[in-house]
Amino acid sequence: MSGRGHRPLEHTADLAVELWAPDEASLLVEGARALVELLTDGAELHGSAERPVELEALDPEDRLVRWLGEVLFLASTEGFLVTDAALELAGSSLRGTMRGEPGATARLRSEIKAVTYHDLQLTRGPEGYRARVVFDV
Amino acid sequence: MSTQFQRIDDFRWRIPREGGMRVPGLVYATASMIEDIRRDKSPQQVANVAHLPGIVGHSLAMPDVHWGYGFPIGGVAAFDEEQGVLSPGGVGYDINCGVRLLSCDLPVDELRPRLEALSVALYRAVPCGLGRGSRLSLSERELDRVMEQGAAWAVDRGHGEPDDLRRIEEGGRLVGADPGRVSTRARTRGRPQLGSLGSGNHFCELGQVAEIYDEAAAAAFGLRAGTLTLMIHSGSRGLGHQICEDALRRMLEASARYGIALPDRQLCAAPLRSPEAIDYLASMACAVNFAFANRQVMTAFAREALAQELGMSEAELGLRVVYDVCHNIAKWEEHEVEGERRRLCVHRKGATRAFGPGHPQVPEPYREVGQPVLVPGDMGRYSYVLAGTERAMKETFGSSCHGAGRRLSRAKAKRVAQGRPLFRELRERGVFVQADSKRTVAEEIPEAYKDVAEVVDVMDAAGIARKVAKLVPLAVVKG
Repeated sequence: MSGRGHRPLEHTADLAVELWAPDEASLLVEGARALVELLTDGAELHGSAERPVELEALDPEDRLVRWLGEVLFLASTEGFLVTDAALELAGSSLRGTMRGEPGATARLRSEIKAVTYHDLQLTRGPEGYRARVVFDV
Repeated sequence: MSTQFQRIDDFRWRIPREGGMRVPGLVYATASMIEDIRRDKSPQQVANVAHLPGIVGHSLAMPDVHWGYGFPIGGVAAFDEEQGVLSPGGVGYDINCGVRLLSCDLPVDELRPRLEALSVALYRAVPCGLGRGSRLSLSERELDRVMEQGAAWAVDRGHGEPDDLRRIEEGGRLVGADPGRVSTRARTRGRPQLGSLGSGNHFCELGQVAEIYDEAAAAAFGLRAGTLTLMIHSGSRGLGHQICEDALRRMLEASARYGIALPDRQLCAAPLRSPEAIDYLASMACAVNFAFANRQVMTAFAREALAQELGMSEAELGLRVVYDVCHNIAKWEEHEVEGERRRLCVHRKGATRAFGPGHPQVPEPYREVGQPVLVPGDMGRYSYVLAGTERAMKETFGSSCHGAGRRLSRAKAKRVAQGRPLFRELRERGVFVQADSKRTVAEEIPEAYKDVAEVVDVMDAAGIARKVAKLVPLAVVKG
């Protein structure tokens, strides 16, 4: 597998994805891309707008879930579809800027209810970071 | 990890206590279903739930049990008032996802040539999928009232009849709702969605009463062979999803503080008497009421559209509520445990309340036969109406199954459906499907689900819920 990416995993009732990246900040961005890809069926998007983001979490796993929760919230309420982000991580908090296509509700193809903590995994190995996240659909 | 199953009888299997389990698990299934159940992670999830403090009796799984997140889908667990905990993951994101059934006296045989037109009318009337939001525009104050009053709010606003409320679980309004505890985010997600179906497995379906198994109960429920029915499956939309998410965040912190060991973080929990649990229950009730109002509003949209299409008045159409049940909820209930009356917090996740005959919470017209239990199947085969029993009160805290349960993942279902003329196939089976997204139909093809007949047969044979009637689909609206 190359340096960073994501792929779907089999899960009977819900959707799960595996993420990998050389560092944790890019892993979070990869997670956002995986989520937006599921929401839009992989539509091509134009990240023409920016938005600030800031959140506090309990630990890195929780940070991953909260970050994806943020991405999902913006997509489902405003149609802001994240394409990239510049994130700074400190302790278990996160701040930075998201880039995305604004007002793109028409590009949404499927509904995801939530990002779950179930079977959540975030590990650091010799080749970088890997994570597994289950979405409730 | 492999979970052990001990056979109790043809329909009951015990997962013995092991490690940190506080009670055994109890799964309702046939031997062949157990083979399927073993293949996913749901047995481990049943065992995980048994780790939670204050769990009473068994960690239960209905025959439609399958791998969920945290609790298994099809799971039931009751917790002691003093020692027990509340776990928002034991309710799930779609708080008060549920099913409503309506019946009337119109014979389907006379309506056949008009079914396709009726399906289109229903599709136009009931907002579904991602493209179409609510037809209502709610102010923040009205949203508060929806969360406090549930289905009664809708009836007050002219969506339906006061009599509808008598045939809804909790009368369509769960007490204890406090909109002040609901976050701005939850309100933002939910406010534009009242009166909309959503997508995924949610649906609105015209059907026909195909078979009656229990004449007396069917008569009490107003179900006659050959007549038209309407079923609505939906929940609390983004409001409930966000309320769950908000609660999980608080509970994750709280679990550590209260020293609750978690085999899965999605099971995070807090003592029932804690501020966190009290806060959750008051906000959960808001989502419960929103969902009752949601199904009530869609009922009114459907009645109006069907009556108009048939050129009759709504009174002539005569679509009356049979019942409306929640299948994702945590509720305070009184149950007898080893001869003692106890107040318990019963979590049902993908499980339906199934109170037996004589219970004061069963609506008066049904009290002699037991509470109606609505069990939808897939969109090509059939659905069932059951009645709760005394045995359910003794064994399952008055709970039964809620559906067929998925057999194929969404990705696999799409592969199976690839290139097939799904709409035509279903039409050849006599079902007109109208959908916002073809992909949803592919993900929801009949083969993606287990046979719901096997599920209800287990409940019936185990004496937990009695078969009353079978319904077959005629027209299905999907998101």
